[in-house]
Amino acid sequence: MLSAIEKLLDTANQIILGKNRQLRLALCCLFAKGHLLIEDVPGVGKTTLAHTLAKLLGLEYQRIQFTSDILPADIIGSSIFNAENHQFVFHPGPIFKQMILADEINRATPKAQSALLEAMEERQISVEGNTYTLPEPFFVIATQNPSHQLGTYPLPESQLDRFLMRIELGYPDYKAERELLTGIKRYLLIEKLETQLSPPQLEVIQQKITEIYASDALLDYLQALIDFTRSSEDFPIGLSPRASLALLTAAKAWAFTEQRDSVIPEDIQAVFPAVAGHRLQPGQSDSQAIVAPILHQVKIP
Amino acid sequence: MEMRKPKDIILITYLAFIVAASQFLYVQNIFMAFYIFLACCLLLGTLILINNPRPQISPALKHSAIILLQAFPFMIVMFIFFPRLEAPKWMFLNDPHAAKIGLSNTLEPGSISRLGRSDELVFRTRFSGALPPPEERYWRGPVFSYTDGKRWSQTKAKKNHLKKTDPEFSGTAYHYTLLQEPQKQNWIFALDIPAKFPGDTVRNKNYQLLASNNPQNRAEYQITSFTTYSTGLITKKEINVNLQLPGQPSKKLTNLVNNLQGPSQTPEQLIKNILNFFSNSDFYYTLRPPLMPDKPIEAFLFEHRRGFCSHYATAFVYLMRVAKIPARVVTGYQGEKFNELGDFLEIRQANAHAWAEVWLEKQGWIRIDPTAAVAPERIEQDVNIDLQIANGEVNFLRNQKQSILGKWFKHAGLMWDSVDYSWQRWIINYTSENQQSLLNILDIQHFKKLAYVLLGIFSIFTSILIFIMFYKKNISDDLVLSMYHQFCSKIATKGVIIATGEGAKDFAHRCNEKFPHLANQIDAITNLYLQIRYGKLNSADKVVKLKSLISSFKA
Repeated sequence: MLSAIEKLLDTANQIILGKNRQLRLALCCLFAKGHLLIEDVPGVGKTTLAHTLAKLLGLEYQRIQFTSDILPADIIGSSIFNAENHQFVFHPGPIFKQMILADEINRATPKAQSALLEAMEERQISVEGNTYTLPEPFFVIATQNPSHQLGTYPLPESQLDRFLMRIELGYPDYKAERELLTGIKRYLLIEKLETQLSPPQLEVIQQKITEIYASDALLDYLQALIDFTRSSEDFPIGLSPRASLALLTAAKAWAFTEQRDSVIPEDIQAVFPAVAGHRLQPGQSDSQAIVAPILHQVKIP
Repeated sequence: MEMRKPKDIILITYLAFIVAASQFLYVQNIFMAFYIFLACCLLLGTLILINNPRPQISPALKHSAIILLQAFPFMIVMFIFFPRLEAPKWMFLNDPHAAKIGLSNTLEPGSISRLGRSDELVFRTRFSGALPPPEERYWRGPVFSYTDGKRWSQTKAKKNHLKKTDPEFSGTAYHYTLLQEPQKQNWIFALDIPAKFPGDTVRNKNYQLLASNNPQNRAEYQITSFTTYSTGLITKKEINVNLQLPGQPSKKLTNLVNNLQGPSQTPEQLIKNILNFFSNSDFYYTLRPPLMPDKPIEAFLFEHRRGFCSHYATAFVYLMRVAKIPARVVTGYQGEKFNELGDFLEIRQANAHAWAEVWLEKQGWIRIDPTAAVAPERIEQDVNIDLQIANGEVNFLRNQKQSILGKWFKHAGLMWDSVDYSWQRWIINYTSENQQSLLNILDIQHFKKLAYVLLGIFSIFTSILIFIMFYKKNISDDLVLSMYHQFCSKIATKGVIIATGEGAKDFAHRCNEKFPHLANQIDAITNLYLQIRYGKLNSADKVVKLKSLISSFKA
């Protein structure tokens, strides 16, 4: 199983060049049953990453392009009158898929945004008194442009909190970019990709991650980090209990991908920028810069 | 109050610091130092509270106390190397010592009906060798030769009148340090008679020691005195001065002297007879004598016969002069309190005394204390000042049984006096001169060396602090953690120090890059440590293994 994960990451690395850390984080996010937010300027491979992951994990993939005129019904679906049997029939929207790529989520109006975010949280949809369960696993990768760009509705803090992680892709380095220019087109490569991890296997992994052990010493460190954000004056609000839970789950997933059965401080440090960055400084996209002072000042007990 | 913004509070706090510091211009004792320390603690606490988003009073105070205590070593170094500025007198706005009552320039016993005695400190002495016997402890002050019958005063010191003959000293030399409290006069109350004294002091023809500098400063002197001496001859003029009487003595007095002198005619016999007259007739020693405004000598000798040392000394001198024997009144201090803890003598205002000096041809000036004839306890024993003040009566301490509480109380008093002496001597009296001598002891002559010494002290202090900090870090209740810290400190000797927030694995990675040959060992230790500390299933033998790995590890 672990070798499968390594192979999956290797394959993904061949598609998205030079972004090993981000890919691993994205995978951890998936393993930890969390949703992922990718924030970056257009054209750095956000969509490619989502597509690659879906393909490698053999998940049903659906892309929803968010625009300023998108409506909640365009996402979750709507009831349409069937003239034959004189009944309204619910037509599920694009959200009823295992992996959703919500592209440019901050270009949609808050109403449409919240429709998606509600589905993410509840993992089910209620329309006209009927409840429809979303498929398992259900994984949303949302991308957004940095919020200072024109025509965007920045996600409020409460909704950012729904994403387990936020990652930035950044520009590829020189070598990776050259390879990109000379190599085969990415979408052609994605077409040919084979599933590396089946959905049942994914479920097993998700179960195993909950069994990863976190010692008291580790929880001390985690709480020290959380306390630091709450008492520091650098942040308008500290990390919430939901964030501390998210941090632990993400760290467990990271420990799993590192082939360990217990979490060590380095696991927390690895996922900390992605988990805490968007919760501490929503307006700033460089997570590493946000959390670096915390990691350097909090002692490992 | 004009405190609207945090800025105002900060400003007020800084002003309060200045006010606190300025208190030392008024009072410079231990209590004030302690009080200012507390005040600074409070002010620092205020600053901490202002700057803390979640203010809590007791941690802030604790924090500020720690800050102040941390500043202590620095303060000591600054104190030693940068002594107090010699502040001009006007800066000490309310010097309580400036208007002090002590011995005065004149003596007029007949006009005093009640002798107020205070236990205010005059000076302290510490002997480097043996102490003189109590009956020899006369501390010499001004000498009175001229009298108008009522008032006694010093003869105007004419420079040409001085005939300085150094007395011949014999017997034991007493070396001592005298710490003189501030006073109005420049008198130094040396042990009768000073032989060696500092260069900035003068011994006048009356063998009284005078300071040339400002008497309002507390000063310390190194003096050597002899209690056995022979002063030799004096000039005719001096004899005349010390025979001076206001007109002819009355018949009554001449008769008395004639009666006392008897057939022998020798001055020694006369002295003995007068002292016998004092002790055998009904003379009493009291601090509340009757007023004798008119003809005080006669009134005292024939009528009241009650008085204190000045009465006896002046009467004695007067009688000697009637008998044509040169005599004069000497004032000073006699008797003292010995502080066993601090090993020094304390002389207070209550110890003020007056005695007589008679010039005899063969011996020179000799000291006669007529008070001793009347109240020998006054000379031999200490005076209980507190009781005197309470009752206005004389009370001599007897060796009575003391209660435990009383003993304890006395002990505490001695201890406090001792502390106060050290405070005055080492802290308040520490000036640039003292610093110079201290630097000489340390063999520091120029600034460069001073800088090196400061640097040395600073580095020693810092290394002690670092040691303490590391030591503190090592003490942790978790055995495994302390073992790991041991491992880290072993690597630290090689120059790789674990950073704050750096995990064991990252640290090991960093070490391995620097010491590839140790990689296996470092990895083994790190992995085992991580397993024990963060792993699920742990056994004691893992800890043992980690211990052996770490102890065998050599950086």
